[in-house]
Amino acid sequence: MPVADSLLSVEGVCKSFGATEVLADFDLALNAGEMLSLLGPSGCGKTTLLRLIAGLEQADRGRVVLDGTAVDGDGAWSRPEDRQVGMVFQDWALFPHLDVAGNVGYGVPRRQRTAEVSKTLEMVNLPRTQDRMPDTLSGGQQQRVALARAIAPKPKVLLLDEPFSNLDAALRREVRTEVRELLQEAEITAVFVTHDREEALALGDRVAVMNAGRIVQEGSPSEVYRQPANPWVAGFVGGVSMYPASAAGNVAHADFGAIPLLKPDQGAVEVAVRPENVDLLPDGNRAATHIVERLEFQGADSMVTVANSAGVRLQARVSGTQSIKPGDRVLPVFSGSPATAFARSDAD
Amino acid sequence: MGPTTIRSSAILRAAAIVVTVGFAFPAGYLVWRNFTFHSDPLGVLFSQRTQGPLLRTLRLAALVSVSTAALGTSLAWLTTRCDIPLRRMWQALLPLPLVFPTFIGAAALIRTLNPGGLLSDWLDNLGLVWDVEIQGLFGAWLALTLFTYPYVYLPVAARLRRLPGSAEETARLLGDSPPAVIRRVVLPQTATAISAGTLLVFLYAISDFGAVQLMRYDTLSRAVYTTRLNNQPVSMALSVVLLVLAAAVVLAERGATRRFEHAAPVRSQNPVVYRLGRTKPIAVAFLASSVALALLGPLASLADWTIDGIRLEASGGRDLLVGWEDVWSPAWHTAYGSILAAAASVAIVLPAAYLVVRHRSRIGTLANAVIVSAFALPGILIGLALLFWTLQTDVGSHLRNTLVLLVFAYIVRFGGQTMRTSQVAVAAVSSRLTDAARTLGAGGLRRFRSLELPLMAPGLLAGGGLVMLSVMKELPITLLIAPFDFPTLTTKAFNSIEEAFVAEAGIWSGALVVLSGALTWLFIVRRSDYFD
Repeated sequence: MPVADSLLSVEGVCKSFGATEVLADFDLALNAGEMLSLLGPSGCGKTTLLRLIAGLEQADRGRVVLDGTAVDGDGAWSRPEDRQVGMVFQDWALFPHLDVAGNVGYGVPRRQRTAEVSKTLEMVNLPRTQDRMPDTLSGGQQQRVALARAIAPKPKVLLLDEPFSNLDAALRREVRTEVRELLQEAEITAVFVTHDREEALALGDRVAVMNAGRIVQEGSPSEVYRQPANPWVAGFVGGVSMYPASAAGNVAHADFGAIPLLKPDQGAVEVAVRPENVDLLPDGNRAATHIVERLEFQGADSMVTVANSAGVRLQARVSGTQSIKPGDRVLPVFSGSPATAFARSDAD
Repeated sequence: MGPTTIRSSAILRAAAIVVTVGFAFPAGYLVWRNFTFHSDPLGVLFSQRTQGPLLRTLRLAALVSVSTAALGTSLAWLTTRCDIPLRRMWQALLPLPLVFPTFIGAAALIRTLNPGGLLSDWLDNLGLVWDVEIQGLFGAWLALTLFTYPYVYLPVAARLRRLPGSAEETARLLGDSPPAVIRRVVLPQTATAISAGTLLVFLYAISDFGAVQLMRYDTLSRAVYTTRLNNQPVSMALSVVLLVLAAAVVLAERGATRRFEHAAPVRSQNPVVYRLGRTKPIAVAFLASSVALALLGPLASLADWTIDGIRLEASGGRDLLVGWEDVWSPAWHTAYGSILAAAASVAIVLPAAYLVVRHRSRIGTLANAVIVSAFALPGILIGLALLFWTLQTDVGSHLRNTLVLLVFAYIVRFGGQTMRTSQVAVAAVSSRLTDAARTLGAGGLRRFRSLELPLMAPGLLAGGGLVMLSVMKELPITLLIAPFDFPTLTTKAFNSIEEAFVAEAGIWSGALVVLSGALTWLFIVRRSDYFD
């Protein structure tokens, strides 16, 4: 729900392209200095939302209020060039015919340009690159130039549209941490869009999970991860097995043992079990209930898929040193913090 | 879409409509006049007077199309995909015959190959007799083939360079022999380029005036020209026939391209190179004789004319009618007219290109169709329509003998050439970049100046260069409606050739070829990738 004193609020916004409804009665509020991750599958309307906030699209219904002023809706309209909203594009959209200084200084008034450019380049850790052309820079450097260009004019809100998706995996993690520190230090209010759950959880003070044009759940990263609002969110924010069990108060009983629950429940449920919360006791144990189906070696640890006699699967992340192979009989043991249960629709 | 975008696209649409009307005007006027000018338009239209020229036009265009398709494609194949020695040299030389306007090329051929020319002089020294006269259908066919094959060669070579080698290698692994690979894999993927180039040549052949005039072969365009003064009804009727023919070709092209659209635009790193083996000397001889006939021969005869004339003057025989200082003014007129036409074409076509690429508007599509089709309009028709318009109407008479009218005619004739390159240029400015500029606070004017214009510049220059080159070589429009006090190199050269002032013809033609050669080099050879 929009908060009265929030820096940015999106209120009941609808947007369709032709017959396709991209945003349906969408609400979002952002406080000054906050960093919000918008997480959702591709095509869920994330990018459209950013473009609406920036003024690159116009809402069919609803309003966008920025810093106390309506910029879209109720007859109000402010052009993107007048909004002071910064944006880092997915492909960075660096101006290919301008050097780094030309790019970074593009949005800065001429008189302050030189000073602002060098200051911002220091901030993004790219000093003395003013004369380079964008196509001579590495991917990580281009990304930083794009960020510098967006923050140099001191926007009220910074929007980042999958800014790391063009970087390779190793670099992505490094740049991500840098960007987070930089934005926090400069106290920049930012909305950050991604379809990568790890990125969303690592970067956001708050995470909003989006699907099909709506926000499905909003909360701190750990809330969203530990207390998913529904099975879809549980699966989208991390690896999960929806395991059938029978709830009795604070505990659910599965065929392999007990699972502590965050909220008391009764009757047939399915529990969202994260693989890192499952240990596997090896064969030789008389109570072994599951058989190892598949084992995927991932370096430090392995992802093991086990199944009970009825074929219900459960995933476990186990230490890479543990010697398990397909066909072994094992007993899963739940070992983490309490899990979330959902009423089972197909209870048998 | 914000309100600003809506407003600016309304302006764009209005501009596109004005431009469309302008491009359609000459053809429309011609048709309208034909049916209002005299009592029996249909009678003349279907009379003997039009049928002979029509048949000759079709015969010539068909022959030229077949020969240029074969010549252009095989030259492209040899220079891009075979282990030919001095490959870069051939690639640089083969497009150059484009520098010759066909009337200069034809005159040079006559001078080189006819009895009394360079070749017979040379053969005389060897004691051989050469008395084949180059004229008529054969002469026109030879001239057009030699000076228009680059229209096939350039797109086919560009296409062949880009075809991914992996497809051909796959075909080899699947058991095809090299000839089978060419037939089953290479040719189908090159078909669009060949047919597009050949179509251009066909259009060129039906609208050509220079070569048929010099070779005295009475096609539609020549007949239009010769009857314009003393038999206007026939001239009009011939024009309409020519117009219908050009329109039919354009429509046929529309149908054909739709069937060929599957050719994938891929950029290949290493196209497969085929070994010629024992046929290599034959291939080299083929390349060498093409270059000799289409480039070196004509150049040699231009030089020969000039030197002959200078020698004659030096020996006190006859004074040259031009001094070197007289060359500057026509050369300046040629350059000035073509730069004006090029800049105006780019500026005029750009709104339509915007509409097509950015706004996908219906008016844009219509403007695109009209502008591009106007390219098929033979120059002689545009010249004639505007000439009659200035002679027969009050509005038109104000424009008689003006540079404005001439430039307008050039734009209608060649402006369509900038449509492709302008669209490529507009597409080069991705909406991401303009979006980024907007979020950084840049308004419409600043975006255009700081972002769109610099990014479009290479494409716009390429299109403008094409127009400049075409205008320089243009003959019939210039002949019919250039102001009297605006002689250009083309009109000077043409008149000298027609009046058999050989030395002067050499000087004017030489100057023109040097100018257009520089432009061909700048805009066509260096940018051949733009025309794939």
